Amino acid sequence: MIAARLAQIAITTVALSFIFFMLIGLMPGDPIDLAIAGDPRLTAEDAARLRALHGLDQPLLSRYFAWAAAVLSGNPGFSRLFAQPVAALIGPALLSTLTLLGFALGIAVVLGTALGVLAALRPRAAPAVQTLALLAQSVPGFWLGIMLIVVFAVWLGWLPAGGAEGGWRALILPVATLAFANLAGYARHAASAMAGALHDPWIRSARARGASESRIAWRHAFPNAAVPVITLIGLDAGALVSGAVITEALFARPGMGKLIFDAIMGNDSNLALLALLVVAVVTMLGSLGADLAQRALDPRIR
Amino acid sequence: MKLRIGLSLLALVALAAILAPWVGSHDPFAPDLFNRYAPPSAAHPLGTDDLGRDVALRLLHGARVSLAVGLGAALMAMLVGTAAGLLAAWRGGWWDAVLMRLADALLALPALPLLIVLSALDPAAIGLPRGEAGADILRIAVILAAFGWVGVARLARAAALSVLAQDFVRAARALGVSETRLLLRHVLPQLAPPIAVATALAVAGAILAESALSFLGLGIAPPAASWGNMLANAQEAVFAAPLVALWPGLAILLTVAGCSLVADGLRR
Amino acid sequence: MRFLLLLLLAATPAMAQRDTLTIGITQYPSTLHPNIENMAAKSYVLGFARRPLTAHDADWALVCMLCETLPTLQNGLARLETTPDGRPGIRITMRLREGLRWGDGTPISAEDLRFAWEAGRDPATGFGPAEMYRSMYELIVVDARTVEIRRDRVTFDFASMGDFQPLPAHVERAIWQADPRAYRTRTLYDREPTNPALWSGPYRVTQVQAGQGITLERNPMWSGATPHFRSIRVRTVENTTALEAQLLAGQVDMIAGELGLPVEQAAALERRTQGRFRVEYRPGLIYEHITPNLDNPALADRRVRQALLMAVDRQRIVDQLFGGRQTVAHSNVNPLDRMADPGVHRWPFDAARAAALLEEAGWRAGPDGIRRNAAGDRLSLDLMTTAGNRSREQVQQVLAAQWRAVGVETRIRNEPPRVFFGETLRQRRNQGLSLFAWISAPESVPRSTMHSEEIPTAARNWSGQNGGGFRNAEVDELLERLPITLEAEARRPLWARLQAIYAQELPALPLWFRQDAHVWPMWLEGVRPTGHLNASSLWAEHWRAR
Repeated sequence: MIAARLAQIAITTVALSFIFFMLIGLMPGDPIDLAIAGDPRLTAEDAARLRALHGLDQPLLSRYFAWAAAVLSGNPGFSRLFAQPVAALIGPALLSTLTLLGFALGIAVVLGTALGVLAALRPRAAPAVQTLALLAQSVPGFWLGIMLIVVFAVWLGWLPAGGAEGGWRALILPVATLAFANLAGYARHAASAMAGALHDPWIRSARARGASESRIAWRHAFPNAAVPVITLIGLDAGALVSGAVITEALFARPGMGKLIFDAIMGNDSNLALLALLVVAVVTMLGSLGADLAQRALDPRIR
Repeated sequence: MKLRIGLSLLALVALAAILAPWVGSHDPFAPDLFNRYAPPSAAHPLGTDDLGRDVALRLLHGARVSLAVGLGAALMAMLVGTAAGLLAAWRGGWWDAVLMRLADALLALPALPLLIVLSALDPAAIGLPRGEAGADILRIAVILAAFGWVGVARLARAAALSVLAQDFVRAARALGVSETRLLLRHVLPQLAPPIAVATALAVAGAILAESALSFLGLGIAPPAASWGNMLANAQEAVFAAPLVALWPGLAILLTVAGCSLVADGLRR
Repeated sequence: MRFLLLLLLAATPAMAQRDTLTIGITQYPSTLHPNIENMAAKSYVLGFARRPLTAHDADWALVCMLCETLPTLQNGLARLETTPDGRPGIRITMRLREGLRWGDGTPISAEDLRFAWEAGRDPATGFGPAEMYRSMYELIVVDARTVEIRRDRVTFDFASMGDFQPLPAHVERAIWQADPRAYRTRTLYDREPTNPALWSGPYRVTQVQAGQGITLERNPMWSGATPHFRSIRVRTVENTTALEAQLLAGQVDMIAGELGLPVEQAAALERRTQGRFRVEYRPGLIYEHITPNLDNPALADRRVRQALLMAVDRQRIVDQLFGGRQTVAHSNVNPLDRMADPGVHRWPFDAARAAALLEEAGWRAGPDGIRRNAAGDRLSLDLMTTAGNRSREQVQQVLAAQWRAVGVETRIRNEPPRVFFGETLRQRRNQGLSLFAWISAPESVPRSTMHSEEIPTAARNWSGQNGGGFRNAEVDELLERLPITLEAEARRPLWARLQAIYAQELPALPLWFRQDAHVWPMWLEGVRPTGHLNASSLWAEHWRAR
């Protein structure tokens, strides 16, 4: 099963690399065009010379194969935008994004599940949890981020408004922004799964045997409710990465989302390509991991 | 209950969108430089924006664009997704495998980075005029639908599989009912509830995605008003005139919440 | 939740350290190599860490930075001569100041200039504009600190060395010689930017975080005045709202005007935070204008261009949108430039005259309020600018409304900068009006934007910046005579004539000259904004904290 999925990921990656390359290649305006527009002293000869130097005078398809060969030989090229080897840029950015995503996902899952379980166990709390979940999934992420900055960084001055300095303090607002948007799904799934589990016949029999309510809830019902939550983690991996783009742009945090946005807007195709591919692969591996966890936990899927 | 609240929220928004051109005496697109960031008043119930235009009127006009993006994307996603789901369930085997693997792959991909790539593409390359509001709406709706169909397809396939496994299908086939007629008259109607749920969620997703694209500068271009670009514009002045950012944010929130409530209500 | 709140309360903001200065800018410098690519963020950061031979100062006068004396014909450091192939040429003597050292202690010498010249002349190296290196046909090393440069173009700004500056030959020459083609990607400026040998300014780069920021610290080998701040941190925040938030939260001390907040945002900030920051507005050489495509028959008519300009109330737009903090332009020469003609024609805001001129040009009011010509064509123009630049998008919508009032329809069509500048503008695809800006140096001859030979065509690889397609024989002649007229007073009438023609012909509709808004903490002193391409950071050794 794992081998088949890995093969599938590999095939998808190759297909994506081709699609990305073509899409980026078809975007209007190459880097030399931009340089000429920005610098009146560049002449027609300069343009031709620079274009040849950057290999931009070759047809798109042969550029793809040259690029693919270079990547496979471990040399994914040079970032025009940051004047550094692409590989050297992606490492730190990926680490930074994974940190952000890890904390945000952790908080969203724990808090969301807790709220969901609360709603299932205490029906009186259910409407409040439902409203919160509805709110969480309806607020545009960047708007929430701005509001958090205004309140916590500017008015109260408790937290940095962005940037990478300040260690964990700089992480709080971006993590909160991202976690809130993703909390809703976990709360809803946990609530319905937990409510469903509590009505299972064997829970009723456990209750009849005189097991305490809390033992029933945590030892019997909760493990069943956890399965859909884990499924959701796998399905949400892509959405999380999307949220990271917005969060990183807003909080000026280094990371893959910002790297991709800058690279595409700044016409840095080497960087954009590799960063997109790395993000896609990591996301696919993330959903694979979630699937495996789900299989391990859920006896029904084997 | 949820369904009713959701539907009434959406009906309100739809009414606003329909009535927009007939409401109000000022032109929501004509700047009034002497009246920038005016506080709410009788003439401008929600105040004015960075160019002195009436925020309330622009919200109404923005409803048209935002709903057009949301509904456009969702309807396209619904058509493609239903067709794909039905096809996968009906033909099974190789078709099913390819379609569902494609759907899985798309679902596992981070959508926004790809949307950025697609939004940065040249619309002229596919024959769309650049920078016109109508073309913008279509471009964004198509891009969003390219990802949105997956959710519909999965639900449609699951529902179609269970319908196709029922006895009456075998009976109909035995009676010689044509496959087309079978699918269109007997299977499709039963898919309506799950598809409606998925479509309602797709509308919500598209409206949120449009606002995210606007924030990144890739959304609907001015002078057309959409909630997304109003919000993105207002964030520039969030310290000076925080209220201007409040209204479009609230409009998005209510509409998205309305869609989610409808989806929830339909699920029961 | 309670846990989170406790964490929040425990975190108290650190006190501001007055021996470091954190500066926010809105762009990240792509490369730190002084000669590869040209961008404002790079000029700003390099201003701290390396010094050019010459620069324009805050009073817009050309001054020596690394050189000893500015060469002039009078002091004999510049001599007119004839090139070996018989053309007029000039020989310039450049002498480096005494005691200059790279950050590793190696003296800055004539060899460093020779290396820069050789690398620049080699087409494989990949330096941007090669024109200057081509015109420097010979470089003679006279002694360890002196070179003679022979050029085959004699222009009045011969003493301005622009991008020509010493490069550290003792570390870079071997890399370049090994493979000139790969120099672009192997230069230590990008591979090892914290190497002290690369830096010649009062600061040297000590830390680089790609896309985030650059940290600089005092360069112990600097021979000029000792800078006050021990370290300078330059942070990039592209989103100006986020940048303002970081300033308000105390994470950045100042926002550089060269790449900072839009002037209206700075003005609003100043109003709201009375007394916390000092905001200085510096009128600059960024010229916002609208280029009409003169291939469009409607726009080819001078009367239509004049009418379009008169229909726009530029002063009111500046007052209302920018708090009066832009200088309304009447030609492409900034009124602060020494060659500006104070008597240049000023088109007033006069909608009635604009309407009359349009009538005269044959555009009469149609049934829908939009004017039509005799053939029945509507006067409808595309109005394009860079998508995502909110202040331009605001201006654009006001312009559209004001033109609508005189019966001209404009369709707003914006594109991301990479498309707009990279393709649409350069390949002259917009048939209507394009709103954007030029940035220039003091007394720079606008040849590339106005000479008929600079109209971009496919045959010329779309180079040249006369995107409107302006052709005027007299202007061409003026543009050719101006650079080679060495006497400043002899140039003045030529400049006056050029401005007079500009104001009548309107190759572009002048809007305003932008002002930079520099936002400083109250305790910062000694920053002198320049308003042109040479950033204020070139004089960072004079910055002080009170």
